[in-house]
Amino acid sequence: MIYLDNGATSFRKPPQVRQAVLEAMERCANPGRGGYPAAMAAAEQVYRCREAAAELFGCQPEQVALTSNCTHGLNIAIRTLVKPEDQVVISGFEHNAVTRPLHALSAKVTVAGQRLFDWGNTLEEFEKALRSGPKAAIFTHVSNVFGYILPVEQMARLCRQYGVPFILDAAQSAGAIPVDLQSLGADFIAMPGHKGLLGPQGTGLLLCARLPEPLLQGGTGSDSIRQEMPDYLPDRVEAGTVNVPGIAGLAAGLRYLRRVGVENIGRRERTQAEKTAAGLTRLGLKVFSGSHQGGTVSFVPSMDCDELAQKLAKRGVAVRAGLHCAPLAHKSAGTLETGTVRVSFGHDASPGQTQQFLAAMAALI
Amino acid sequence: MRSEYITFRSVTLAQRGERALRRDGVDCVLQRTPRWMEERGCGYCLRLRPQDTVRAVRLLRQGGVTFSRVFAQKDDGSVEELAL
Repeated sequence: MIYLDNGATSFRKPPQVRQAVLEAMERCANPGRGGYPAAMAAAEQVYRCREAAAELFGCQPEQVALTSNCTHGLNIAIRTLVKPEDQVVISGFEHNAVTRPLHALSAKVTVAGQRLFDWGNTLEEFEKALRSGPKAAIFTHVSNVFGYILPVEQMARLCRQYGVPFILDAAQSAGAIPVDLQSLGADFIAMPGHKGLLGPQGTGLLLCARLPEPLLQGGTGSDSIRQEMPDYLPDRVEAGTVNVPGIAGLAAGLRYLRRVGVENIGRRERTQAEKTAAGLTRLGLKVFSGSHQGGTVSFVPSMDCDELAQKLAKRGVAVRAGLHCAPLAHKSAGTLETGTVRVSFGHDASPGQTQQFLAAMAALI
Repeated sequence: MRSEYITFRSVTLAQRGERALRRDGVDCVLQRTPRWMEERGCGYCLRLRPQDTVRAVRLLRQGGVTFSRVFAQKDDGSVEELAL
């Protein structure tokens, strides 16, 4: 299979990830609960994951909260910064993981910057929205549909300038573009463990620069006499038993990234995305490409998107068609009616994948 | 053998403390905090040799690692809290 749906999840994980999951299942009990060897082995695995993440993302280990996915982390962060009916600024390329929690809070949302690959428009509109005094800003690092890399360092600087707390959604960037909590000055950065970080599904990280509000209340293995959740990280947002095998696998993924290099992986993905965009353009398709683009390309085929994706699947090519849980991004790009077909590369991006995908496309259209 | 204890509110903070001390050559053991040392219930501590305690506390403070309390076990088995 030519797997080009890394925007949904990475599929071919490094073998050491699977090995770490298996070892954790064999050796680990519940972390932070007991003092016997299997409990301490679990605690050690979990802490190694926090350490590896802290090193990669510029924070302290206790600032790394373990979540079940990026959406989980975003919900915690949003519930911390946004109260019902608060005014919030978001980019024009947000995922439902951002827009649905805001909708549930009846937040007054200003969408700022809807032109693809246009940093000037993004920054101009974003600053204009910040002047109105929102309670928070939330923006994605990279559009999950179009691969547009937003100017997050400049957006972060604007947030600091206007005193607006902000959340970065690093769902598509973590593992492909450097992300640093401290230097960015974000209040929270949420990311999945199972995409670019190469961990198993059911893992995620929330980097916390401030104390979050818990979504869940329950046992943490700490401060057990008190009925309030602990007022310190990471326990405050980690009620219940964490996914130790998944976390051990995620730690192995993080170590792999450190060895191979995030920049190297990102470069490899972008190179293949550029070649894919050029090839699709040569085939006469409407392709969304531009400067500031990561390893993801969307296009509109001459047939129904899902029909094309199905035909590609029969030829052994895995892509994703439709709205990609991001109707706002499609609205911004004018593809809400048709959807797009999305090609998203991962850590194993190679010229062979691109060639085989383009060959399949040439045969189908 | 007599021991002294530095307590932490969570296993994560205790692990960060353990790493900080070991990095500077201070030997310590991460373990559950005995119930009578932990007024809030369920915590972890680092057990170490009495001669290392002052240095350990200094290293934790320098590293920004938050700990709760420090205890010393006396020869008769009783325990007293240290103010460091």
